[in-house]
Amino acid sequence: MTSNPMHRRTVLGGAAALAAGFALAGCSDGGDGDGPAPEERKKGQKINLTFWSWVPGIDKPVDLWNRKNPEVQVKVEKVSAVNGEQYAKMHAAVKAGNPPDLGQIEFPVIPSFLLDNGLLDLAPLGAARHKDKFFGWQWQQSVFGKGIYAVPQASGPMGLFVRQDLFDKWGVQTPTTWDEYEAAAKTVRRNGAWIETFAPTNGNRFSGLAWQAGAKWYATHGDTWIVHIDDEPTRRVADYWESLVKQKLVKTIPDRQNAWYKDLQTGAITAWVGASWGDALLVGNAPGTKGRWRAAPLPQWKPGGKDFANWGGSTTAVFAKASYPKDALDFAVWLNTDPASIALLIDGGYGFPSAKKGYSTADLDVDKAFFGGQEYSKIFADAGAHVDTSWQWGPGVDTLYQRLGDAFTDALADGSSFRSALAKVQGQTLADLKGKGLKVESGG
Amino acid sequence: MSRDTLSRAAPAAPGRPAPRRRPRRATRTEARNARAAACFVLPFLALFGLCFLAPIGYAVHQSLYRTERTGPLGLGGQEHEAFAGLANYAHALSDGQFLAGFGRVLLFGAVQIPLMLVLATTLALLLESASARGVTFFRSAFFLPYGVPGVIASILWGFLYVPGISPLVKIAGALGWDVDFLSRGSVLWAIANIVVWQFTGYNMLVLIAQLKAVPGELYEAARIDGANAWQVARHIKLPLIRPALVLTTVFSIIGTLQLFAEPMVLRPLASSIDSGFTPNLHAYSEAFVGNNPHVAAAEAVLLALVACGLSFGFLRLVGGRTKDRG
Repeated sequence: MTSNPMHRRTVLGGAAALAAGFALAGCSDGGDGDGPAPEERKKGQKINLTFWSWVPGIDKPVDLWNRKNPEVQVKVEKVSAVNGEQYAKMHAAVKAGNPPDLGQIEFPVIPSFLLDNGLLDLAPLGAARHKDKFFGWQWQQSVFGKGIYAVPQASGPMGLFVRQDLFDKWGVQTPTTWDEYEAAAKTVRRNGAWIETFAPTNGNRFSGLAWQAGAKWYATHGDTWIVHIDDEPTRRVADYWESLVKQKLVKTIPDRQNAWYKDLQTGAITAWVGASWGDALLVGNAPGTKGRWRAAPLPQWKPGGKDFANWGGSTTAVFAKASYPKDALDFAVWLNTDPASIALLIDGGYGFPSAKKGYSTADLDVDKAFFGGQEYSKIFADAGAHVDTSWQWGPGVDTLYQRLGDAFTDALADGSSFRSALAKVQGQTLADLKGKGLKVESGG
Repeated sequence: MSRDTLSRAAPAAPGRPAPRRRPRRATRTEARNARAAACFVLPFLALFGLCFLAPIGYAVHQSLYRTERTGPLGLGGQEHEAFAGLANYAHALSDGQFLAGFGRVLLFGAVQIPLMLVLATTLALLLESASARGVTFFRSAFFLPYGVPGVIASILWGFLYVPGISPLVKIAGALGWDVDFLSRGSVLWAIANIVVWQFTGYNMLVLIAQLKAVPGELYEAARIDGANAWQVARHIKLPLIRPALVLTTVFSIIGTLQLFAEPMVLRPLASSIDSGFTPNLHAYSEAFVGNNPHVAAAEAVLLALVACGLSFGFLRLVGGRTKDRG
């Protein structure tokens, strides 16, 4: 479970500042040189494209595309998203020189693939003309310098899911701040249940919580990467969860695994700090609790605050070796902007569309009845509008998640502080990036 | 066969210069035999080279290089391989997690291998004892787990370990015993249990095969001498299956060091298994998560060296003892 959540997790969004902050002028220049000139499909020629994805229900929009475009047939190959296996497979395929044409890649890991020259720069194919179809900051997630490396699909604004029936029974108010969340956890615990779990290996959610608190893990200065995982906001988040763990107010089992689903089904766990795509996860895995859940905004650090974050969100990227890049780009844009495709993707519960048009917030309420008739997507839409868009990702995020997971696992085992875990991960991340031949400095 | 033995023995006879003619004939026969032998050995050598030597050579090669990147921020620029000397090895050996993984599998092996082999030997002796009933059924039943692929076995056991789902945990809980198979302290032994379950039957079969090769006269003689079943087992069977025990031990040592599938499968279920739980898992993480194939290659080579060292060390140890006894 860990670092890479499995189900339609979607990435985080947020890096509007990428374009502004990155002095990546050389990027696209370097990329252009390698590889053979892309082949052009001749008129009437029938081609096949392969697409590696793990999004549930992705087959449906792809089938629709295949019916409409007999000449460009896309074949979905499902990859496992457990433990980041999909990226392990993609990295290996890039190294071996036989990647698929298209891949489902989350925002945080795009820089890792760029490091390997694994993704095709779509700018020369005229991708920029599609920019206005997407939310600006999500489009920017895959823009580095002059290069455009993926078509955004969805984001995952974070919120809080609660078992309203149990909260009501025990007189627990839905927490609006993290202090209230702790108080709620105590009451729930007194009633024999748990508010939720702190999954030590889920670096993805932890980064979202740090993001909400105002952390800036990556930045760039000239051609140097600035890494600051051990910053004040992140420490605050770490201290907070450490305290909950030490008070035995939260479990420490992995999330989105059988034991966790079982706890959701039986009411042993009564809340979940999740993301917009979590609705489908709850509906699918705890069907017996229908009507008892509600969604609420993410608890705030300051009463009345409006700080939100993203967890998940992904793109459709074209690999550098794609045989027919133009057709691959056309497919990627269609998949993520065509109203019929978006409707099918929403049915699968893939997150909040990156496309601006072609759906309404109400369409996103996949199963209102499950949430007692609540129009819960509005809550996530509001969260999405208040995400700090200055957050940016750097290379090696998959390793970072693993490091965080290992460090928190160790801290839980030997009782050491989460702060020391952060300090350890900070040092390791600097070493990892140096090991990759990058210029890197510790943020101050 | 006998001609061959003769012709080879002749020149080797000490103190007698070989007559000129004979060796010529002998050489021709030898050449023919050598050709035949080469034909038999060649496919093996080809496969051995292709599937064993070449990957090792490639891994050693990979382990001596590193990737250098150019371009702003290292993104999108050119990358090329540069000679790194032993830097990757130094990196691996200075990685505390990697070394801890070795400590873990060694501890694992020290407990699991003797346990499994004692169990396998006991089962083999019981099944091969004169009074055993239903031998075929039990032999297949004990061997059956080996037919289950390691990944499947781990998933299966995972369900029996995970609290909230596991009937075992539930039963233990009902008896007032709060057990967590996947906690930091017990997860290694939970994995050991899977390995024992899987491989005891396999090792038992190897031992049974050796037991079958023991000539019946030995037992007859022992019975005439008044030996009871225990004495037969202790003084005849056990010494005679020694080679099989040595073989299974070496297999187990190698298998232990390569421990991978079980922790890999259980990892998502347990918060207690980190990404470098075993050296193999660590190398996997380096290669596929960290995308550092060169460091991973160095780790794989180190792992192979340790496996080699331990296996040969063990063989020397027991080989020496056999000589003393002989």
